[in-house]
Amino acid sequence: MLLNIYLKELKDCFRDRRTLLLTVFLPIVMMTGLTLFYDSMLSTDGDDTYKVAVQESFRSEAEQLFAVSPNIVIETAENPEQAVIDGDVQTAIVTAPSFSEDIQNGVPAAISIIGNSFSENSSFAMNAVSTALTAFESEIISERLQSAGIDGSTVQPFSIEQKEISSDGGATMMLSLLIPLILSLAIGIGAGPAASDLFAGEKERKTMEALLMTPVSRTTLLLAKWLVISTIGVITGLVTLLVVSLEIAFLTENLQKAVNFGDQLPLIIGLALLVATIYSLFNAGILMLTSILGKTIKESQSYSTPIMMLSVFPVMIISGIGVNELSFQHFAIPILNLFSILKELTAGVIDYEHLALMLGTNLLLMVVFIVIGRVLFLKDKWVMN
Amino acid sequence: MIRIQDVSKKFQDKKKSVTALKHISFDVQEGQVVGLLGENGAGKTTLLRSIATLLTPTDGHIEVAGFDTVKDPAEIKKRIGVLFGGETGLYERLTARENLTYFASLYGLSKHETKVRIDDLALKFGMRDYLDRKVGGFSKGMRQKVAIARTLIHNPDIILFDEPTTGLDITSSNVFRQLVHQLKREGKTIVFSSHIMEEVSMLCDSVAMIHKGELICHEALDTLYTLENSDDLNYIFMSKLVRGGTHYAS
Repeated sequence: MLLNIYLKELKDCFRDRRTLLLTVFLPIVMMTGLTLFYDSMLSTDGDDTYKVAVQESFRSEAEQLFAVSPNIVIETAENPEQAVIDGDVQTAIVTAPSFSEDIQNGVPAAISIIGNSFSENSSFAMNAVSTALTAFESEIISERLQSAGIDGSTVQPFSIEQKEISSDGGATMMLSLLIPLILSLAIGIGAGPAASDLFAGEKERKTMEALLMTPVSRTTLLLAKWLVISTIGVITGLVTLLVVSLEIAFLTENLQKAVNFGDQLPLIIGLALLVATIYSLFNAGILMLTSILGKTIKESQSYSTPIMMLSVFPVMIISGIGVNELSFQHFAIPILNLFSILKELTAGVIDYEHLALMLGTNLLLMVVFIVIGRVLFLKDKWVMN
Repeated sequence: MIRIQDVSKKFQDKKKSVTALKHISFDVQEGQVVGLLGENGAGKTTLLRSIATLLTPTDGHIEVAGFDTVKDPAEIKKRIGVLFGGETGLYERLTARENLTYFASLYGLSKHETKVRIDDLALKFGMRDYLDRKVGGFSKGMRQKVAIARTLIHNPDIILFDEPTTGLDITSSNVFRQLVHQLKREGKTIVFSSHIMEEVSMLCDSVAMIHKGELICHEALDTLYTLENSDDLNYIFMSKLVRGGTHYAS
């Protein structure tokens, strides 16, 4: 009986263009956009150029100064600061007219860098200008010390070398944020319409009463409908993972570097699918409750939307945390643990304790949601309008 | 047979309490067609839902075919067919046949039984031409026919219709009336609520009138006409409402 209901509900859902749109088409569009956006954030090809405004009097010095920085283009402006405000350039350098003379005479010279730290491009330009000026400053100090007969190492007692353990330029980190974000959004958005339709929609259309008049137990109806929501979530999750994998493989340069799991690839993909499946079951439980509580599809959606928005927050929590810094609570708190476990898997780390904790808490809550759902579904108030 | 014994139903939430049924008692004999009359909000749908096991009475008992609605709802559901409140309750993205097949499976009919039953109902209601079309594109009359066919798919002995002709055109209403005549000939027990007095006087053996949750009259139509010295059911109903309000014991 459960199978009969399950198959009919699934057929009904997939005949709904909205469900098809949200389970297949939207994930593809959304994933493509997000994947390409994240890939572009990792761009290190140095093609971007930044315009720097200077006064006419400083132009020749500036050109010399930035001769070794091909991504900095010098432009002359009467009022460099205004040029930044108007958005004509990304940053500006303002100096006193006697800047070069002051340096030659050993007089302290002032130089201002003007930019907008709320603009990413302006920040990059300011950093580039600042780095070039710091190098110029070191050069002057070195020349002055040399002319005074002092060894340059006097003012440089030690040298600093920074070593980066990640060799992919942040691609793994980006991927570890991208995959769970896409997955959680896609599963929530994909299963949402079906969930609203299966309980609130049936109440609204009065098909629920006809259904309740059959000898089928309410528990069977509830489980079949929950399974349908879960299945749609799983399908959306799988479509999403497939689309993202293909896009990373064929459309990206930087994210592709992060996908290098070697022999572990089949295991990591298998575990990611398992995680996506369990998350879909958990997610279906939440959506089922919001749909039971809603008298109409609209009401159900107004309950489920804020809950689905929760799936975005873990990105903010987890983005600054390294894989080796993830602790118990990151794997115990639902939704957050989806991000945590996928972050580990993306980094090629397979920790079965963490996996068990993540899957266990999701399954436990799923059971709790089903029990609550059953209690509600047995009450007339929640099954009939 | 349906036996309603001192049934009351109270709906209560945090803010207010509404008594929808007050000590209702009457019997519906096997093979009888009973019309349930009352204004909007009188309690007709609540009573039908209670008989259909969808609502649990706050007080009293309802027996359907010898089974208690609270203790044996599953047994009752196998024996009754219900069509509620002008709503067809069909799955619009499924065809008429898929709708009927689905409900047949929920009632435990075999594939062969389902096929025979659908063919029979399609012939009876003239649905053959659109049996394999999606319900979403149907007119109200077509939907109503499919909904009635769904109600009868498991060949129930007892049938409850809640305002079945609401919103139907004359042709569709006539189809329904012919159907009730036919079901009556087949010995089915039928309870239906309606606002249309002409329909009730045409189809029913007896009527039960409900006013503000109270049963104000339950009589065989012939007896009622004799007692009221009129065969105008509309007049009788209105005069009962004016006089009504006190508990009626059948």
